[in-house]
Amino acid sequence: MKTNPEENAWFRLRAHAASRLGGAFPDRVLRLAHGCPPRAWQRLGCVAADSLRPGFAERVIAAARERLELPSYGSQLALSALTAAACLAAVILFHHHELAAADARNLAEWRRIVAAAQDLDAGAR
Amino acid sequence: MDPSSSAALVDLVRRAQRGDEAAQRELIVAYQHRVAGFVFAMTNRSDVVEDLCQQIFIKMIRALDRLQAPAQFESWLFRLARNTCIDQLRRQRLRRIFLPFADEHENIPEPPGAVDSEELDALRHALAQLRPQDRALLALVQEGRSHAEISEILGTSVAAVKARLHRAREQLREHYQP
Repeated sequence: MKTNPEENAWFRLRAHAASRLGGAFPDRVLRLAHGCPPRAWQRLGCVAADSLRPGFAERVIAAARERLELPSYGSQLALSALTAAACLAAVILFHHHELAAADARNLAEWRRIVAAAQDLDAGAR
Repeated sequence: MDPSSSAALVDLVRRAQRGDEAAQRELIVAYQHRVAGFVFAMTNRSDVVEDLCQQIFIKMIRALDRLQAPAQFESWLFRLARNTCIDQLRRQRLRRIFLPFADEHENIPEPPGAVDSEELDALRHALAQLRPQDRALLALVQEGRSHAEISEILGTSVAAVKARLHRAREQLREHYQP
């Protein structure tokens, strides 16, 4: 059967266009149209669930209980603040005591010097 | 317990809030698989799933008494899971900055047999191309959360959730190649 040149050209155009689509074109279109199938998400959930070892809930409860028994950050902070305040008070008290002792020593020395000076004055007269 | 029965869930959450360990355990058992799936979708690594799930459920137990509306428990739990996963991913990124570990040291391939489905492999590959926020969005939808619930979890508007979800689905579709 003879075909005219125009029909031949259309046939070639269709063949060329079809060859550009590639072999997996229908699958690709279906995949893009439907996206990720729900069974892939289900499989993901199953793999994740399998990665939890048996007795997971018991381990979580035990770990939570252990953490509850540990002192909280707040109480640790309060204890640190209390310790720092006690140390500061001790330093101030010690400093105050040392200052008072030094004053007493200085006064006694002055009294001794004054007494010595008075003695010298009395001797000179 | 059937978590879909809201009255039973509210009762269970109230008992757990009062410190009833049996109720807390029941909550963990009821949600551990769903939370594990969410964590896997977010991190793309099965070796961190148990550690992260443990962190999430410990946070749940410690913060349960602050949950005002027990009916909102599921949204609250998935918000906790999302924030924990995003914190973990952020820490991982920071670690990469400060420690000279190459990508291949951190992204150790799954052992043979651990991932046995082509479709799952393709989904994991596609999820890995998305931003963590978009992964969370898609995983929350898979968890059956409504747009309103997701907007509450993410602290954004329903319209923003719809727009972001549309974009995330398009991206997932682009990268999904089994």
